Amino acid sequence: MDTINGRCFMLLARIEGSVIAVRKHPSFEGWRLMICQPIDAHGQPEGVPQIALDPWGAGMHQRVIISSDGAAARVAVGDENSPARWMIIGIVDEPELTLNT
Amino acid sequence: MRLGRVIGRVTLSQAVPSLTGARWLIVNPLGREQYRQGLEADITLSKEPSLVAYDALGGGVGQVIGFVEGREAAVPFPQPTPIDAICAALVDKMFYHPAETPEAPKV
Repeated sequence: MDTINGRCFMLLARIEGSVIAVRKHPSFEGWRLMICQPIDAHGQPEGVPQIALDPWGAGMHQRVIISSDGAAARVAVGDENSPARWMIIGIVDEPELTLNT
Repeated sequence: MRLGRVIGRVTLSQAVPSLTGARWLIVNPLGREQYRQGLEADITLSKEPSLVAYDALGGGVGQVIGFVEGREAAVPFPQPTPIDAICAALVDKMFYHPAETPEAPKV
């Protein structure tokens, strides 16, 4: 998986853990930092994990959608100078597989 | 944000004015294997390409940091700054328990 500058991604991912950091950008204060492993439609890992802000309280091994929209993340953390980028934007209820490939 | 192990530092003699005096870290992004080994394990390098990140938090060699890549890395600066990766967190603890991944379907 790549993170090409200036391009926005929304990825299906699975929560695989969390991170605790005392020293961090002040805009991350109070936010849960979750380790999100991007996965394909079959649940297989794709690429390396991303750390995403979690406003929803996602649980371990839940499937989520993460977005790389920094502008929206800055609004969410309420700091226009924040480097925030990846954010969990929703929790997947039911995995749906439409293509049998 | 991705996590990476600080494997070195860079010092610049000449720099863009907005970046004079900045600290720079050479960071090797953690791969899945490094996540599994945890923070305390012996340092192993992943196959991910290493990169240089701006650092205002004081990350040291051997530490694991969270770094933000892309356009967002330059957002904290008041003036336009040519930066693509910034250290945004010094990781103290990491909980990592990957799920048992289902068998890949046989095609």
